[in-house]
Amino acid sequence: MTPAITTSAPAPPDGPAGAETPVLRKTPVRKRLVPYWLLLPGILWLLVFFAAPLVYQASTSIQTGSLEEGFKVTWHFATYWDALGEYWPQFVRSMAYAGVATVLCLVLGYPLAYLIAFKAGRWRNVVMILVIAPFFTSFLIRTLAWKTILADGGPVVGVLNSLHVLDVTSWLGVTEGHRVLATPLAVVCGLTYNFLPFMVLPLYTSLERIDPRLHEAAGDLYARPSTTFRRVTFPLSMPGVVAGTLLTFIPAAGDYINAELLGSTDQKMIGNVIQSQFLRVLDYPTAAALSFILMAAILAMVTLYIRKSGTEDLV
Amino acid sequence: MTKTATPQSSGGDVRLHGISKTYGSFTAVHPLDLTVPAGSFFALLGASGCGKTTTLRMIAGLEDPTTGTVELSGQDVTALPPYKRQVNTVFQNYALFPHLDIYENVAFGLRRRGIKSVKKQVEEMLDLVQLGPMARRKPQQLSGGQQQRVAVARALINHPQVLLLDEPLGALDLKLRRQMQLELKRIQTEVGITFVHVTHDQEEAMTMADTVAVMNGGRVEQLGAPADLYENPATTFVANFLGTSNLIEAEVVEAGGEELLLKAGDAKLRLPAARCSASARTGEKVLAGVRPEKVALKHGDDAGSITEGHNRLPGRIKDASFIGVSTQYVVEVPGLGGELAVYEQNIERDGRLVPGAGIVLHWSPAHTFGLDAAQDIQAGADLDEEAA
Repeated sequence: MTPAITTSAPAPPDGPAGAETPVLRKTPVRKRLVPYWLLLPGILWLLVFFAAPLVYQASTSIQTGSLEEGFKVTWHFATYWDALGEYWPQFVRSMAYAGVATVLCLVLGYPLAYLIAFKAGRWRNVVMILVIAPFFTSFLIRTLAWKTILADGGPVVGVLNSLHVLDVTSWLGVTEGHRVLATPLAVVCGLTYNFLPFMVLPLYTSLERIDPRLHEAAGDLYARPSTTFRRVTFPLSMPGVVAGTLLTFIPAAGDYINAELLGSTDQKMIGNVIQSQFLRVLDYPTAAALSFILMAAILAMVTLYIRKSGTEDLV
Repeated sequence: MTKTATPQSSGGDVRLHGISKTYGSFTAVHPLDLTVPAGSFFALLGASGCGKTTTLRMIAGLEDPTTGTVELSGQDVTALPPYKRQVNTVFQNYALFPHLDIYENVAFGLRRRGIKSVKKQVEEMLDLVQLGPMARRKPQQLSGGQQQRVAVARALINHPQVLLLDEPLGALDLKLRRQMQLELKRIQTEVGITFVHVTHDQEEAMTMADTVAVMNGGRVEQLGAPADLYENPATTFVANFLGTSNLIEAEVVEAGGEELLLKAGDAKLRLPAARCSASARTGEKVLAGVRPEKVALKHGDDAGSITEGHNRLPGRIKDASFIGVSTQYVVEVPGLGGELAVYEQNIERDGRLVPGAGIVLHWSPAHTFGLDAAQDIQAGADLDEEAA
């Protein structure tokens, strides 16, 4: 596919002819096709790596059969109901964990993004690099590192225990006994940590775009700093808030690494179920159906969220 | 300052005492004393970087002065944050809140002060700036001129003691700018609030303001009514920045009387002693100035008909450009080393006045002003072009 593009992409700018006749003239066909040629690589990519697998997955989800006899499309939609009936707790848990992690990311990320955008001055780039630095190591290794950090005999658990923090969290039901690992708290913390940069970066971008003179104008119009934040800064950063929460919530809801490494069987998320159905149980139709249900659920929630936050008004 | 219990009409006066601002080793504003009388339209005029905006921001509280105090209507507000000052600003690029519609932009200040029923006031204010039907639009749906009027309305609705305008017309095209100048002047007369207007456009300052302070390099060069500044510039910067001036290096030949006698090249010039801001004793150098529109041209052959007693300089036309209401000549005067500008109204055009023609420049001595020759003769000359 690439050779076809490279030969025709640098469209001859037929300059001399155009320059000599400055009269209105129809754009040559080849020139009008340039945008489509430029779109082509992206479209091909989407077709091969997004549309095709999606169709394949959809067909898998309505197949029946076994690994030995092979799977056949039998339009067996009941797989969806069965999958939902059996795994709804994991669905609910995924949404809850992802939701809490997203809120935590926003609470932690907003002040950080605000600091970088308005207060960091010449340290701005340094702080930015600190935010992005975790990306230099793999997601998996970072999560494994958390396993060590939160280990039962580790210093973190020790400090939390001596401060009786774990008593409180256990009473709240997010930890169990005197440990952090293999509890909802560990999984949510892992998710929050791993997805924080996805919250901070869009927030920073939208905060940085705000004209500082708007802050001055608000101050000039009798708004104290807290009011300026509530009435001007925060509303103007809404596009970043929406983008950040989506970028955090969507992958977090489908994540299985954190639950796998930091949780126990009681913290399994829907991602873990899909992964084990595909790779261990080898029940492809159920796995495919679960993926579709997850996709539909996220899509519905995102649509609702965007409607609610009214971002169309802001962008 | 007289302390009275009765509040001022609607405007307040601004008093700056020894106010200055330094950034590191750079001094943006040198210690400055300035009084803006209540209800006046005051302009701070200067090229970019002269400290005029910094001065304005210190009045608004957006910048902390390094030294000195700011007084509003007799109250020292130096330590008060902007949101506690009875001052509002029209920002250079308006700084309208993009997420709020026009109505809410205008109501912003009232709401922040806890006023519940804003409807009547907002509608009245929008009518004043003729934007009533636009109330529910967003700022970016408005033209530059309309946005500018919203910015004025948003500030004025709070009835500040002083309204600060930071290059409010800078982003508008020429025609709209002229229109808004008159509009702002009308509003100021109507509401009676003290206006402090920062601009680099000398025409704008002269059209609108009662008093103009010309700033240069963080200092006020001269302060006065527009006509006074124009007719009697005290420094070469003011002479060149405010319009155009012909400055001629001359030596005092005779002093003591009502008129000074000067020698410039081979020519003798006369200058009223009262219009010379420099000390002028016999033998000292001064700069004799005259505005281009005050100078008349006569063809060399008609030199005899020039009014007796006028200052005369023989020269040669180097360039002539016709610009409609007038013709602008560049004239070379041998012995002076420089070129003089002459603006001649197009009433009776003499066909012989073309480049190359030998002519005599003449003007009434009363139109001559004298400046200290120790200054840079070019000061402020290029700035104006750059700024405009």
